[in-house]
Amino acid sequence: MGYRDVAKVGLGGPVGSGKTALVERLVPELVARDYEVGVIANDIMTQEDADVFRESFADLLAPDLVAGVETGACPHTGIREDPSMNLAKIDEFTERHPDLDVVLVESGGDNLAATFNPELADYFLFVISVAEGEDIPRKRGPGVTQADLLVVNKTDLAPHVDADLEVIEDDAAAVRGDDPFVFTNCKDGAGVDAVLEHVEREVLFA
Amino acid sequence: MTTTPDPDAGAFLTALRLSDSFLPVGGYTASYGLEQYVNEGRIEDGDDLRELLAAYLRRIVGPCETVALANAHAASGAGDLEALLAVDERLHAVTMPREFRESSTKAGAKLCELLVGDTTDGDGNGDLENAFADAVATDATPGHYPVVYGVVAQRRGLSRRQACLSHAYSFVTGLLGAAQRLGRFGHTEIQAVLEALEPVIAEVCTRHVDDEPTAMASFAPLAEIMGMRHERAGRRLFMS
Repeated sequence: MGYRDVAKVGLGGPVGSGKTALVERLVPELVARDYEVGVIANDIMTQEDADVFRESFADLLAPDLVAGVETGACPHTGIREDPSMNLAKIDEFTERHPDLDVVLVESGGDNLAATFNPELADYFLFVISVAEGEDIPRKRGPGVTQADLLVVNKTDLAPHVDADLEVIEDDAAAVRGDDPFVFTNCKDGAGVDAVLEHVEREVLFA
Repeated sequence: MTTTPDPDAGAFLTALRLSDSFLPVGGYTASYGLEQYVNEGRIEDGDDLRELLAAYLRRIVGPCETVALANAHAASGAGDLEALLAVDERLHAVTMPREFRESSTKAGAKLCELLVGDTTDGDGNGDLENAFADAVATDATPGHYPVVYGVVAQRRGLSRRQACLSHAYSFVTGLLGAAQRLGRFGHTEIQAVLEALEPVIAEVCTRHVDDEPTAMASFAPLAEIMGMRHERAGRRLFMS
């Protein structure tokens, strides 16, 4: 058993877009559907952060299936040019848990150019927030255009930051072509079902 | 115009490839305690950095890693798996901080996956390499980076000295890159430090390239304490 034997889902996106919040929404739903899940967070700054993360999944995941991988202040390198330390961590997971179904790999916050190495992620989500500017999709960053699924999060904040969801939707449709995107509000869980549906269909049933 | 084969090109290109940060073995995640020196305010400027890295070279890279690499190269050349495993075991024993061992063995495993075992010829000349790769993959041996490096370099035609030089150089540039990401160092300042360290790299390789495996030892108590404190550091961007 090794990293090639388990489904891997990457979550990338800018700092503060809601990657961690989405992971915290996805994990309980995946566990409820009887998947055994592992979680890797890149760029965890302190052991305390790792403990908090582990605690929030305490009733759902074995503690040794939640891990941080430090990427030497190079979050994009860790998920793209050289994913070796993430792959080594996934190998550790699969050695201890041979029945593992899926690993969620959360990138450190990065810029719009961050994409996942296809050997690290079978499927990758790019998470942006409406609060980071309604023009993000039309900048056509590789993360936005190449992700398997674009997630536009924090829709509840749109009226407070003068972001027009219709503009974002039109731009996302224009730059994504036939590729999917979904709106979410990870605070109340809106849209998370749609994300799960994509992940299940494209990765876990594939 | 006819093309003359260049027998040295392969070895030279291998040296470049092995010492290039482009090599995907996770080198950018290791600081070997440097992050803790920065966290504790022990490095202020380029002079501090130069002195610290010169000490790393003289106390760890030379007497420890270079000795391991040179003897792994020799064992690979002699087809002596037992000697190779003994070098790996000794390097594991003399590398004190847990995170130093982890950074080295993780990078070693990745280098093994990438480059070991793909030079086997029809006469079974890759047998030692394959047996060693199996031992690394099954955790029968730690698979430290300098040891794997020695095997890869030998199989691809680098001399022992070239292998030691390229490894020591990549150790220095790896730590300089880490320093630049952790502190505030200009790119020209970093290059000046690198230039000042080049004679030290050559000096330690000359001094240790012919050492016996039993000479392998490190004496760098502060670097080792920094490496150990890093395990519980309040801020961690690096794995070591």
